[in-house]
Amino acid sequence: MSISPTARPRAALACALLFTAGVAGCGSATTPPAVTSSPATAAAAPLATTMTTASGVWAVVVMGGSAAQENNFWQLFTVPAGGSQWSLVTPPAVADNGGLVTTADSGGTSQLQVAFRPSQSLTFSPLASTADGGHAWATGLLDAPIAADPDALAARGPSMLALLTDGTVERSASSGASWSTLARPGAITASAAGSRCRVTALTAVSLTSSGTPLTGAACSAPGSAGIFAYAQGTWRATGPALTGSLASQPVRVLRLAGTAAGNTALLLAGSGGQARLYAAWTSDGAHWTVSPPFPTDGAQVRSSGTGPGSLAWVMLANGRAVTVTGRSTSWRSLPDPPAGAAVLGVLPAGTVDALAVAGGNLTLFQLTGTPGTWSETQEIKVPIQYGSSS
Amino acid sequence: MNSGLSPDDPVLVAAFRSALLHQAVLAACLLVLLWIAWAAARTWITPAAPRPGPEPEPEPTGRSVLRVGFGLLWVLDGILQAQPKMAGGLPSQVIEPAAQSSPAWVQHLVNWGGTIWSYHPVQAASASVWIQVGIGMWLLAAPRGWWSRSAGLASVAWGLIVWVWGESFGGILAPGLSWLTGAPGAVLLYCVAGALIALPASIWHTARTGRLLLAGIGAFWIGMAVLQAWPGRGYWQGTNGTLAGMVSSMAQTSQPRPLAVLVSAFGSFDTAHGFAVNLFTVMALAVLGALIASGRPALVRAGVLAGTVFCLAVWVLVQDLGFLGGLGTDPNSMIPMLLLVWAGYRALTPVPGAGAAADVPAGEAPRPGWRESLRPGPLRDRAGTAGIRTVAALSAAVVVVIGVAPMAAASSDPNADPIIAQAIAGGISPIDQPAPGFRLVNQDGTTVTLASLRGKVVLMTFLDPVCTTDCPLIAQEFKDTWRLLGAASRQVELVAVVANPTYRATEFTRAFDQQEGLATVPDWLYLTGTLPQLEKVWDDYGVTVEDLPAGAMSAHDDIAVVIDRTGQINYELSADPGPGTTSSQSSFGVLLAGYARQELASS
Repeated sequence: MSISPTARPRAALACALLFTAGVAGCGSATTPPAVTSSPATAAAAPLATTMTTASGVWAVVVMGGSAAQENNFWQLFTVPAGGSQWSLVTPPAVADNGGLVTTADSGGTSQLQVAFRPSQSLTFSPLASTADGGHAWATGLLDAPIAADPDALAARGPSMLALLTDGTVERSASSGASWSTLARPGAITASAAGSRCRVTALTAVSLTSSGTPLTGAACSAPGSAGIFAYAQGTWRATGPALTGSLASQPVRVLRLAGTAAGNTALLLAGSGGQARLYAAWTSDGAHWTVSPPFPTDGAQVRSSGTGPGSLAWVMLANGRAVTVTGRSTSWRSLPDPPAGAAVLGVLPAGTVDALAVAGGNLTLFQLTGTPGTWSETQEIKVPIQYGSSS
Repeated sequence: MNSGLSPDDPVLVAAFRSALLHQAVLAACLLVLLWIAWAAARTWITPAAPRPGPEPEPEPTGRSVLRVGFGLLWVLDGILQAQPKMAGGLPSQVIEPAAQSSPAWVQHLVNWGGTIWSYHPVQAASASVWIQVGIGMWLLAAPRGWWSRSAGLASVAWGLIVWVWGESFGGILAPGLSWLTGAPGAVLLYCVAGALIALPASIWHTARTGRLLLAGIGAFWIGMAVLQAWPGRGYWQGTNGTLAGMVSSMAQTSQPRPLAVLVSAFGSFDTAHGFAVNLFTVMALAVLGALIASGRPALVRAGVLAGTVFCLAVWVLVQDLGFLGGLGTDPNSMIPMLLLVWAGYRALTPVPGAGAAADVPAGEAPRPGWRESLRPGPLRDRAGTAGIRTVAALSAAVVVVIGVAPMAAASSDPNADPIIAQAIAGGISPIDQPAPGFRLVNQDGTTVTLASLRGKVVLMTFLDPVCTTDCPLIAQEFKDTWRLLGAASRQVELVAVVANPTYRATEFTRAFDQQEGLATVPDWLYLTGTLPQLEKVWDDYGVTVEDLPAGAMSAHDDIAVVIDRTGQINYELSADPGPGTTSSQSSFGVLLAGYARQELASS
């Protein structure tokens, strides 16, 4: 075969090389943006918690498998007053992958209210309530999604409050049978008290012993504990006065729970390694007693709750667990809870149980002796319905 | 973008097979008619005396290589498209993975095309078969002239569609691009070949076309060598390297064992000697590219021969032949690449004595302008004198149209094909039994009985108002049904009965209606009652409803029944939304609306 004179396509070569370099550049992985740890004040309190009613102690934990695969199912356990054996009493008939928000009637009855956080295609929050230790449940409805905060629901007698995801505060005078709007989204932030505090998010609702609505918030103004009371059509600041180092830090109200004696608040001041936990108590919603600070050493709060009387407890992500019983006593560090411990349950007799979760197994440990060791006391196999929500 | 169905779904596979069979019969009938018409025209039409014209010349060899080679490839690709898994599997197993690592705008564009496929999987899959077989036949049947160049254009047009939507631009915008894995997309090479075929045949009568083609390929290979050598792309490492990982996954493809062993062995070799393999690849590409682009006869010949061996080795060891595993759509890039190389090489030898009339078909005089061609006289003459190749090319074009027409019609329909819902329901048999009566209350608290709905077609299902998964999807499917029925919906009642023993008060049905946008649908009834009332309805309609423990939602059967105007159940089908994709939802709405229309028409 004869071949015609040569051609030297240098231009084509140069173009090809340029194209290649361009393509290589396009195809190269880009450097991911630097990740910074979120400040402690930005982290909401997880829904895992315990509380006490006249009928016993209640615990909310998440069990099962991956949340991404909708195999996480929130469970409600209770131990009756005077008893020591826990049992599974999760209210039926609603998929609770979105989380359970519970509140004890701070009026001192046996009533426990539960709101299902909507997940997947559900956009409202079904309610369930029990007055007999979780044997029978009555239904109710909150026609909007409840917020993902452990104190997004509050009850004192027939009065209830609910904090919604969009910042609306709803009120019911009939144990949740009907609801009306108490504060529209942004109303508290825009109020004079909210502006001074520079509210960044609402985090809790509660009712004082006289039935006055309270809201808890995260504020960016230093030294402002964002607790607001609703009276005569306006929201006014009613949080504890913060002094010392607390006065120079932004504060987030992590918890604002109603108790028979009034209200208990958990406050997180500062962020990162400088973050401090405070507990505060009030009997009338106006006058507060504040605990000494407890340094978190930068650890996030894994769970928190209340116990008999004015007791509050906190478990941190670094494995530490502490209780505080109020009236300015200092924090009490507990021995490190066993692996998998999700919440603490403080029984009326003062004994402390740790509820440890591994998949569908719940293991109960009790703190015995001084300074104390955790001893396994009970195991509950929870029949998780894997795949039922996927 | 995918329907969520399994590629092996028997209903879908059977429907695909049936569509292919029907279209094959249609194609056969049309072709027989065409050939009869041609024979009749030759018998009865006396053409005007042919004008003198130059003798037809043989087709240039380089062009012939492209036309026959890519014609055969298109036919093979069409046959591959007829594999049973294609209808359900192409979007999820081929198109989606190809687009995954591309930029968002590419994914968006590909998603648009993939959605059309997933809404009409049978039409799209069968269209691909006929279009590709048709283009291949067209190329093979028409060696020269207008028909041949049109076949080249058809090849470019369809090739671009496949390159953009099937191959996500051949992956050129995604990381990991490599000549070894098929860059810049096999079908882009079909487009290049099609464009060369579509150009006037006279371009093949000098060696310039061959030189330019080889120079272009050589430059491309050198560019690909640079890309292959680019650091940080995983090709220099063996263990956990890009190439070793790809070859290992290819070895898992369902294929003849000897081939799997060979590919697997190469994968192991690359894992152990990744640097050396890549070094060899880079050097081979650069050297071979330089050789074929050099233009020096001896060097080009050596480059073409060595390149052939290299491409075939890559085709077997890296690309694993490309078309195996049940979802292979083509033999990947090496064979088309070789065809282009050989076409360029053959084109370096021009046809001796080539003249200006090279584009004139055999036995025909130079063609008048197209306006003149369409006049009755010339048209009749051409019909009477058309050669067998012209009729064969026309037949191939008819085959292409058989693929294009139903696909074009389907893609203009925004609603999905009911075959998807039928596949999910797993077969629906007609029944004829009286619908059990009920007395319940609607979302407004008004009592509703089945008897009160007599005279309307009732589409009925069972829904849990606080369900988080299936029920909202089924509700949307019923809403779609109502929308599709249009004015006819006034004669249809869409009915849901609560399927939750605990959350069954009207406040929940109203909240559900609000959530699903059903509160404003006039023919929608969401019925509930006391637990005994509901239990009786569940029992009468064979629906099991139970509370599950530990935070799970109530479990219940997903069914839908079609009750005619006289109160007879004529169909019961699974209302399980399956994968809950937009196509499966739309498909169920179309299916249910179809049943409703059928009932309205029959009464």
